[in-house]
Amino acid sequence: MSDEMVTLTIDEKEVSVPPGTTIYDAARENDIDIPVVCHMPGLEPVAACRMCVVDAGARTFPAACIRECEKGMEVKTNTPEVAKARKVLTELLMTDYPEVEESDQHLADFEIENLSKREGVAPGHTRFPVKEEERARDNSSSVIKVDHNACILCDRCVRACTDVKGNLVIGRNGKGFLAQIGFDNDLPMGQSSCVSCGECLVSCPTSALTINDGGFTVGDAFKESGDPVVADELLDISIFQGISPAFLQRNLEACVRRTFKKGEIICREGEFGNTAFYVIEGAVEVYISTPVERQIKKTQLSGLFGLVNRMASGLSQREKHQEDPESMGFIPIDAPIDLDKQNPVAQMMKGDLFGEQSAMNFYPRSATVRAAEDCVLLEMLRPVLQILQKNPAFKEEMEEKYKERALSNQLRGMPIFKSLTPEFIDELREKVELIRYEPGETIFSEGDPADALYIVRLGFVQVMKRFPGGDLTLAYLHKGTYFGEMGLLGEMVRTASCKALDHVELVKVSAVDFRIMLERFPEVEASFRKEVEDREEQNRAIAEAGMVGDQNMTDFLDQGLMKAQSLLLLDLDKCVRCDECVRACADAHEGVTRLVRDGLRFDRYLVATACRSCTDPLCMVGCPVGSIRRRNSLEIIIEDWCVGCGLCAEQCPYGNINLHPFEAREEDPEHLGRKRVVVRNKATGCDLCSDIGSPSCVYACPHDAAHRVNGQQFFEKHYLGVKSSEGREN
Amino acid sequence: MADQESMPDPHKNVISELSRYHEDNGFLSEQAIHDIAHKLELPLYKVYGVASFYPSYRFTPPPRAVVNVCRDLSCWMAGGTDRLKEVLLKMPDVEVNEVSCIGRCDMAPAGDINNRPVQLGDTEQAVIWARHPDLIEEKHPTPWKRWPTDPYDTEEDRYGAIRSCLRGEKAPDEVIQILKDSALRGLGGAGFPAGLKWQFARAEKDTPKYIVCNADESEPGTFKDREIISTAPYLTLEGMLLAAWVAGAEDGYFYIRHEYHIEEHAMRAAIEDAYRRGMLGKNILGTDFNFDVTIFVSPGGYIQGEETALLEALEGNRGEPRNKPPFPGVKGLFGKPTVINNVETLAMVPVILERGVDWWNDQGVAEYQGLKFISISGHVERPDVYCIPMGTTIREFIEMAGGMKDGMELQAILPGGASSNIISPDKIDTPMDFKAMNEIGSMMGSGAMVVIGEGVDLIEVGANISTFFRNESCGKCVPCRLGTSKGVAIVDEFLSGNCGPEKLAELNELNEVMGKTSICGLGQVALGPMVSVLKNFPDAAGERARNADTGKVS
Repeated sequence: MSDEMVTLTIDEKEVSVPPGTTIYDAARENDIDIPVVCHMPGLEPVAACRMCVVDAGARTFPAACIRECEKGMEVKTNTPEVAKARKVLTELLMTDYPEVEESDQHLADFEIENLSKREGVAPGHTRFPVKEEERARDNSSSVIKVDHNACILCDRCVRACTDVKGNLVIGRNGKGFLAQIGFDNDLPMGQSSCVSCGECLVSCPTSALTINDGGFTVGDAFKESGDPVVADELLDISIFQGISPAFLQRNLEACVRRTFKKGEIICREGEFGNTAFYVIEGAVEVYISTPVERQIKKTQLSGLFGLVNRMASGLSQREKHQEDPESMGFIPIDAPIDLDKQNPVAQMMKGDLFGEQSAMNFYPRSATVRAAEDCVLLEMLRPVLQILQKNPAFKEEMEEKYKERALSNQLRGMPIFKSLTPEFIDELREKVELIRYEPGETIFSEGDPADALYIVRLGFVQVMKRFPGGDLTLAYLHKGTYFGEMGLLGEMVRTASCKALDHVELVKVSAVDFRIMLERFPEVEASFRKEVEDREEQNRAIAEAGMVGDQNMTDFLDQGLMKAQSLLLLDLDKCVRCDECVRACADAHEGVTRLVRDGLRFDRYLVATACRSCTDPLCMVGCPVGSIRRRNSLEIIIEDWCVGCGLCAEQCPYGNINLHPFEAREEDPEHLGRKRVVVRNKATGCDLCSDIGSPSCVYACPHDAAHRVNGQQFFEKHYLGVKSSEGREN
Repeated sequence: MADQESMPDPHKNVISELSRYHEDNGFLSEQAIHDIAHKLELPLYKVYGVASFYPSYRFTPPPRAVVNVCRDLSCWMAGGTDRLKEVLLKMPDVEVNEVSCIGRCDMAPAGDINNRPVQLGDTEQAVIWARHPDLIEEKHPTPWKRWPTDPYDTEEDRYGAIRSCLRGEKAPDEVIQILKDSALRGLGGAGFPAGLKWQFARAEKDTPKYIVCNADESEPGTFKDREIISTAPYLTLEGMLLAAWVAGAEDGYFYIRHEYHIEEHAMRAAIEDAYRRGMLGKNILGTDFNFDVTIFVSPGGYIQGEETALLEALEGNRGEPRNKPPFPGVKGLFGKPTVINNVETLAMVPVILERGVDWWNDQGVAEYQGLKFISISGHVERPDVYCIPMGTTIREFIEMAGGMKDGMELQAILPGGASSNIISPDKIDTPMDFKAMNEIGSMMGSGAMVVIGEGVDLIEVGANISTFFRNESCGKCVPCRLGTSKGVAIVDEFLSGNCGPEKLAELNELNEVMGKTSICGLGQVALGPMVSVLKNFPDAAGERARNADTGKVS
């Protein structure tokens, strides 16, 4: 194709455009308005609605959105014939268009309705007979409402879902006048693989896809507790600049302004929430009340291990963790700052956004936020946040802020980086990149070339490695952890696969910058190398121990037992129900047992309700403060700063995590500066008595009835009759 | 849309997979959709979207007998299936469906039972068949037959035209010139000059190029291609070879509608024969010319006859027409230059090359050039396919078909298939030719004449045709999807007495806008026949309204 400009006339105005330019684009550049419905800049044109037809001198009218300009073309965009075509097409679209329900009045700013107003055609009042049969309404998604009666099959949601987002859920089903949009193989939206990204919602020009207010908002409380903010007002706020006013108008109720008096609690740790807050005026204080010394009940301690439990006190654990290269000096929270573990209080001010995790991924609040002075905040629901995240102005501001404040803290807070100089961190933060991943998206796969180190800024990342027996989830990484260093230090190939579990944002440090860092700071390199060695050692051990289950044992797998790395088995032939194991457990854990002598029975074995240390620990997903984690390859530990939201207990398929009340002290909102004692729940689960060395329950059993085995050993013992090689040492 | 990178990969074609599953299991289960999506690494919506688009696929296990009753013009006029449908509905393990034209208008009222075409006029016989589908005799292709367009005296002589080209007796550009001189037009309905189409594709630099034969004739009243395929498939095949040689293509697809099993077998036999003779395959007749032909069975739907919709189906997509330009000659199958011609167009090429332009021109009556296959049905004594000289008048042609059935009065003529405008009997002496037909406000169309005798309500004829187009619209563009739907709704309101004849006038503007704005020919002509009834038979609507008022039912 030649690069020569194409000259043509549009409405008698001579225009020159590069070859390949559509009539619509050429007209737009020359301030000639051609109405469109199915076309949306940024999407491939499909020319389905035909609203943009023009007279280009041919027998039929081409659609301007798709027809390329040709030399010498004489385009007329507004002849009586063309105007008639638009009018009739509008009538066709509006004949069966549903009346907008009163409850949806605030959503009345649909493009299609503007068109109907412009053309003077009211919904349901045209020359054509109205369709009698109603089409389906699909309210199955908690986020998006589908009304097939309002759908005009413009294909925008289809392209948004597939071309823009790559989610590949929405398509057109059926044919002709019966055709409609559908999800997967025609499932209700709520049952489909839809991830509720909202892209379809934003792209829909009609009321066919709207926010499912019923299921999505926090309910009336949300609306009542704040004042609606009109679009114009929002547009004055820097992060909203550049967003379509139509969208803001449509999402009017998804964003409210709230005023808090000094000392008032804005959100509380552990509670569920689905909103994010943006500080417009004033300052807030963010803190966690739980990481205080656990109140050990000095009751009579029974059993041999009563003495040992003191070792398990919160303080001693914390000190121990600081030597752990993976542990952090701060608690990651859902805000652009992190909390110091020793003094978990921080301030946020005008321009700060917090609660992003809760709004995007519906995680519990990670900390309590209180008004440090009288302040004004914007509280917003996910659709608003989502459109914000696409807005360059917002992205820029947030990136800037993050790099400026949180990144340095985050890096400095990570023991492995502790020798980096502030100057170097300043240098580094200019170079790093912030990248977003959608839920389920692969960040890299085992075997890919290694090109960067990643630090998690938002969401959860699943790390999986292939072993001879199957895949093992090595970790669920949360905010403030890093990954990707193994590949960079080794053969420049990824040694594990990483996948985004939810909306994930990562800080990407390129291989080049990583290398520069290691060259400048040999200590950092040494720590990294040490860690890589440890991990390799662990991986070797896992592979050798054959801890990853054989996939063929489906029956066994159905019970989830094969995923277990450490089952507490009670041999009921030997057990005399003396409950020593339960007592030992309570003794080892501040008087609260984590073991219940009940559970699944297999022949003469009872699989007691105690953490099994699954290969794929679902409990780790979603912890808002990253307090439940795997310290090495086996045990799962709930750290002290647990905020008691209960998500892990809910997620554990085996009911092996429980919430227990502990006393804690927190700021008293009624008496500023003073602390008060409150009862806080904390999650507890079997930690295999990692601080003692071996599980107390097994050790305490006087009858040799308690054994700890992994799933495969149990399978061999139970199904194959092979004697397990070891029971206790696990 | 095909992107330029995508190359044909028959293993990744959703339609091939769906058809195979369907063939094996009789229906598409939810599991099948999942399996195919998994196998082809495609999203579920894509597989389901394609599967649900095509009428030949079902999603529930089939009963013992599936009876499809044609509801379109010739069969509808023949009538006589209402009682049958009632009886069948009560029979256990029998399903009865009304379907669009199945191309058996010469045996109206036609239908098929478990995919075997049958005449449904005899209710008792049809019920027996529904009870025992195995009793239906499977028809075999009629023996190959010598048409006036067949230049070959013996079987050995066949493929003479391509042979002489390969011997170097004609250059590709000469072939194009001959076709241009013969004024051969596309005979599928649109009438685009064939020589020009080949020339465009030849001029394209992009490779590979493809030849596609459109054997998806589905327009009510049209079954001429069916006869050509079953009686002289080698002529069409040679046409494909010549097109490939001229354009520089090595792969050809023969796209045939799924209802044409018998014809598919005939073409398969012809293709096998051509391979045996060395007329297909690699290094044909020792030259460097390679050409293979694959049969692709359409998963159904009239819209697939639209050339770009057909290409979409060949690529494994929902068969929705593309916006043109670009035309298939430039960006066709998989985005590559593609010659796509109708069965009859291709079948005419060998004789034109063998006998020459002068001979061809002499075949027509007076100033008209060439020959034309036309299927005739409706109220004539011998509905069938005839190969007639271009320029034969409508009157002469009806006589050829045995005259009016039972001596009925002629009331109206649909001269060129369901999309042509209906004309009144005073046009009966018009010569059948592209130009002459246009001049009387109709067209040669798909080469299908439906003759309508007295006593048929022409408004109902118009409604029947509009309903066909509504049912067959792909639904992609608004004017066609909603225009046909609302057009039919208006006519239905009138037919059910809910509005007066003046309401029908709304159809004029709707028809005009659909004609100007629809993506493809279907939407552009969908309301044309209905509007032509109102125009050419101005009393029809008023008469019906009056009859309704006086309680007289037509």
